[in-house]
Amino acid sequence: MWNPYDPLPARQRRAYGFASVALVLGVWTVLTAGSLVPPSKLPSIVQCGAAFARLAWDPERGESLLLQATTWSLLRVFVASVLVVAIGVPMGILMGAEPRINAFLSPLVDPLRSAPVVAILPILVMWLGIGETMKIVFLFIGAVVFLVPMVRDAMQAVSQQHWIAARDLGATPWEAVRHAVYPMAKPRIMDAIIVAVSVMWTYITVAEYVNADRGLGQLISIARRQSAMDKVFVGIGVIIALALVTYSLMRALKRALYPWESE
Amino acid sequence: MSEAQQAERTNDRAPNEEPASFLDVTVSQVVQEYPRPDGEGVQRILDGIDLELNAPTINMLLGPSGCGKSTLLRLLGGVRPIGVKSPTSGEVRIGGVPCNGPHDEAVMVFQRYANRPDLTVYENVAFPFRLKLWRARVPPAEQETRVQEMLEAVGLADKAELRPSQLSGGQNQRVALARALVLRPRILLMDEPFGALDAQTREEMQRLLIDLWKAQKCIVVFVTHDVTEALLLGDRVLVLSASPATIVDDFRIDEPRPRSDAWLMSTPVVQMKDRILQRLHGSKSHGQVRVSF
Repeated sequence: MWNPYDPLPARQRRAYGFASVALVLGVWTVLTAGSLVPPSKLPSIVQCGAAFARLAWDPERGESLLLQATTWSLLRVFVASVLVVAIGVPMGILMGAEPRINAFLSPLVDPLRSAPVVAILPILVMWLGIGETMKIVFLFIGAVVFLVPMVRDAMQAVSQQHWIAARDLGATPWEAVRHAVYPMAKPRIMDAIIVAVSVMWTYITVAEYVNADRGLGQLISIARRQSAMDKVFVGIGVIIALALVTYSLMRALKRALYPWESE
Repeated sequence: MSEAQQAERTNDRAPNEEPASFLDVTVSQVVQEYPRPDGEGVQRILDGIDLELNAPTINMLLGPSGCGKSTLLRLLGGVRPIGVKSPTSGEVRIGGVPCNGPHDEAVMVFQRYANRPDLTVYENVAFPFRLKLWRARVPPAEQETRVQEMLEAVGLADKAELRPSQLSGGQNQRVALARALVLRPRILLMDEPFGALDAQTREEMQRLLIDLWKAQKCIVVFVTHDVTEALLLGDRVLVLSASPATIVDDFRIDEPRPRSDAWLMSTPVVQMKDRILQRLHGSKSHGQVRVSF
């Protein structure tokens, strides 16, 4: 019988997941093998594999374009993540803890969540040029608009009980926030950071679109200009893989840091 | 701490002064009103409460649920409600000093423990010593001995390294009780502390409370809507009417604790219980009062 609360056995879950991926690969193979779709629009799996191999190691030049691109993209996401956490998390905490700060900042922060961040890129290019600063700032803005409201909500979701108990024991308001509210909000703040970093992976191609000499976004945009669809697919695949790996690592980190949350 | 917050807290002694054996709590003509939820006018919760607690005794506040027992309790040195003048009129004095907010000598125990899930039992009991106020008053070595002593007193010495989620409800309430008593408060405010526990655990906790109180006497004000609990624990039982609450009866009980079931079934006690129930229902009460055995 169908029951939303009945967890599927692990083996069955894996089987369903495998089936869906196999289905997509199957349809892909059929479409390309029968030349239903020309290779210029949809390269075959084999073509993509070959492109991946060539990008992973170019024997003529003796270097790995893919590794270079990946390293650069990772570095940018990492630097932007550090900035987002260092600036966005304290800001969200202050907004969640002090209604006056929230009232002051939320008219600036909340509408930005639905702002067309991509449209900001030309402005950033105008202001900051086409170098690394522009790319980092773009990633930062794209992620921080999600992070700050989420961190604020995480603080506000903590039961007032903890605040009252701490205040009753003699905590100053600041101590009550620091020792009673903030520690309770930490797992949800971590969720906000995970979302922010995931969002950055979706923006990385846009950030690297303008004048990147290295990076996965640049790899994709050059391949597109050369109509090398197989390389485009490889680039997209690698970004998805990286996003998945960072996501799982951060989930694992969250479980390790806050084991009490799921208990 | 800013001056405003300092003024908000009441503190009647210098950091290193020895506490007197007890403090007296005087409530005179206290009225509390809250704005109605629909925004029209005000609702009177407490209607002229007079109360004097001048010895380290256990005082039970008994009344139908929602009658304002917790509101009264919070006025006795707990955290006041936000955005409302509290009390609306009248005065609460603790040790002769007007009290307008959380009092250093009054510590509250809540029905829902308020333990931090990320800290161990030991760290939860030691929690108040993370605060400047208590760090300044209790030297580190004494903090440790006090926490250890309290853990033993509530029977959790062997669970010191566990987290709250690994404990039962009763054990969690022991942690909360230890966290309050580690400060050796002269006023202990308990807001239906055992209300969420099963009958057997509630009895265990009642016995524990009596043992702890005998070892460290203070003024206990204990809110309950359980008549039996009030009779088993109280030196004094204050019966409140339904909202707006007034004190409709005030019993003193001399029977030594722990009180037996036989005592509870004896004719004078049964009569007392009948009288309390009559008071509760005879007043304009429509709330629920529980009698458990």
